[in-house]
Amino acid sequence: MIELRNVTKKFGSFTAVDNISLSIPEGEFFGFLGPNGAGKTTTIKMMTGLFAPTSGQITINNFDVVQQPLDAKRCISYIPDQPFLYDKLTGREFLYFIGGLYKMEKKAIARSIEELIDHLEIGDWVDKRTEDYSQGMKQRVTIAAAFVHEPKVLIIDEPMIGLDPRSAKIVRETLRRKVNGGVSIFMSTHSLPIAEELCDRIGFIKDARLVFIGSQTELQTYKQKYDGKFESVFLELTK
Amino acid sequence: MGTFFHILKYKFIAFVKSTFEPRFVTAVRGIGSLLVFGGFAAVAYFFSLGLTRFVLDETRIGLFLYHRFISMLLFVFFMSVNLGNIIVSYATLYKSSEVGYLFTKPVSYTQIFALKFLDNFLYSSTTLFLVALMVLLGYGTYFGHPWYLLLGVLVFVLVPFMFLSACIAVLVLMSVVKIASKWGFRKVMAGLAALYFGIVALFFQFSNPIRQVQEVNAHGVNVDAYFKGLESGILSYLPNTWVSDVLYFLAKGESHLALISAVQLLAFTLAVFMVVLFVADRFYFRSWLATFEFQARSNTVESGKRIKLFDFRKSSFLSPQMESLMKKEYFQFFREASQWIHLAVMVVLVGVFAISVGNLNPTLRVTEIQTLTYLVLYAFGGFLSCSLALRFVFPAISLEGRAFWTQLSAPVDLRKVYVVKFVIGFLVILLLAVLVAIFSNEPFVRLTERRPVLMYFGIFSAFWVSITLVALNLGLGGYFANYQEKNPIRVASSQGATLTFLVSLVYLFVLVSVVIVPLSHYFQSLFLFLPFDMRSIVVPGTLVGVLSAALTGFALVVGLRSLTRDF
Repeated sequence: MIELRNVTKKFGSFTAVDNISLSIPEGEFFGFLGPNGAGKTTTIKMMTGLFAPTSGQITINNFDVVQQPLDAKRCISYIPDQPFLYDKLTGREFLYFIGGLYKMEKKAIARSIEELIDHLEIGDWVDKRTEDYSQGMKQRVTIAAAFVHEPKVLIIDEPMIGLDPRSAKIVRETLRRKVNGGVSIFMSTHSLPIAEELCDRIGFIKDARLVFIGSQTELQTYKQKYDGKFESVFLELTK
Repeated sequence: MGTFFHILKYKFIAFVKSTFEPRFVTAVRGIGSLLVFGGFAAVAYFFSLGLTRFVLDETRIGLFLYHRFISMLLFVFFMSVNLGNIIVSYATLYKSSEVGYLFTKPVSYTQIFALKFLDNFLYSSTTLFLVALMVLLGYGTYFGHPWYLLLGVLVFVLVPFMFLSACIAVLVLMSVVKIASKWGFRKVMAGLAALYFGIVALFFQFSNPIRQVQEVNAHGVNVDAYFKGLESGILSYLPNTWVSDVLYFLAKGESHLALISAVQLLAFTLAVFMVVLFVADRFYFRSWLATFEFQARSNTVESGKRIKLFDFRKSSFLSPQMESLMKKEYFQFFREASQWIHLAVMVVLVGVFAISVGNLNPTLRVTEIQTLTYLVLYAFGGFLSCSLALRFVFPAISLEGRAFWTQLSAPVDLRKVYVVKFVIGFLVILLLAVLVAIFSNEPFVRLTERRPVLMYFGIFSAFWVSITLVALNLGLGGYFANYQEKNPIRVASSQGATLTFLVSLVYLFVLVSVVIVPLSHYFQSLFLFLPFDMRSIVVPGTLVGVLSAALTGFALVVGLRSLTRDF
């Protein structure tokens, strides 16, 4: 479960996120949409502990991200918008490295990695150094790293960048399956079809403020006010 | 040339905008930097003046021998600049995305090469120019040289000297890349390391510093003319000799001879630069393409079924987090050629230094000479530790790079991340510092009829200096962390690194200054058969202890806090 209460982030005089509050229960897939520079990545970075909020509170499974960072981080997996990996490690070593950070047993890591290699079809190059990977390969290893341990909360920033259609399909199915298994997912994306296909609820952020939050049903109703297209809703809300 | 200056203009604008950003934090940092640089400039000036005065007036080793030592230091400096440039230029000339982009534009290969080469040279050498100027001013004040003459020496002698070193570095680099595409990177690098080692060994064989020091110990008088006879003819063809000759002849008031040496250096530098441009015109692009060949060759499977040393799949006695962090550090270091090659080169240089000083045989029972010799070796050992810490510890946090999100978003106590880096850095620096301490104290243990006091002092000091320097470099490396920069040498030559180095040198300077009095008392008591009052160590020892602890504590806190900053 994810909870944001009156969260604000300022960089000097610039407000990147302005007083956002929202709650994502267990087993919900939440889509976070907005134009470039609206505050999506800043919000995500605060949720993952990479940024400290200027004010407000963020809790993950009732653990305060600022006050109890280790407990909160133990519950989450993060997939960033840019899949930066340690260049000199192979994909497999990187996955072992991540497993170690989550204090997993070697056997459990090995079992998890073998499953992920098969599932995400990364076996051909997982033993090469990541410096030789394409963007898509890196993205797939980052996604695999998010599933090495069993996260209760997934925080994802633009998951489909660089993925070929087949990999994108595998990832979509995997995410949906995780949600069905009770995992909460917070996903930022620019892809309207993906948000529409996967998310249970959707929030729009514009100029650092949350301007809309609603379920798929509410969104469908909203769509009818325009030409029935999700794109028109997006353009109207972010105008 | 129009295109060249067009690109240069925009690079300059970008540099000015990023350097002189009108923000409060930048202004505070700028003022802080100015104060530290100013302080260091003053220290460099007075140190150089004091050293010249002490060597020439107190120990009276003579003008000629003093300039031969300067020549040796310049040789080491030349080789350091050269090796540093080989490694940094590889990143700048071959790995930079800017180069790849410019190759798609209608810009000649020579212009792209010249842009990146100058960019590299100016970036890595600007601070050295300032240091060189202040050292030169201090040195020149002793001889009463006017400031404009010294400025002239900087611009027309020292800068070309460094430029020559950088030119030779890129010539070597282009050859290495071309040959490596046929023979393989490791073989060529091993050959190059052997070549450089051979050059250094040959230089010290010809210049024979041990014999020169022993002759001074034996004669102990002003022996300018005598030492001229000891010099090998081949040394007069080296650029470091030309530079030291300029200084030597200026000091003797023989300006026409100084001018000849300066012209010799300038002409040679210009000729080598022309050769560099000629070679770049023909080979730069081809060698750039060749890098892809050996990258493709090295793109091999790292870990298949076979489990190797430090394999992530192996278990260990460490906790899973510590083990992961340690192994990551290991692979990141030993799979990055610029890291392990540079460390290997520095270890070899430390070894050469240690063995050379270990063979010294000081016999003269003159307090001033033995105090000076001891202090020079002590300071040089400290300087080695400073350089090692700057090169390998300072970039440690920056080198996490943009992949640091993995640790920052994982349930890892950041103190563990910090401790792992501290322990690894400390063990390496301590090992080398103790090695240097043992070898550089051994001659004095012999001189003092196997009394171990100086040896204990050396090892004890190496321990504390290593802790302080590692803490300082790790802490300030975190404070000035640049996660965008992948090249460790560029991180280690950034503005923050320079500041850290200056602080380290000031710490070292204080340390050396504090040691002077008890050390000279110790030698005096030995040579004059007087009792040595151990209490004379207490005050300086406490001062050093407090300073080291304060610096260590301050740096550790600053570094740890830097990890919790917004990423």
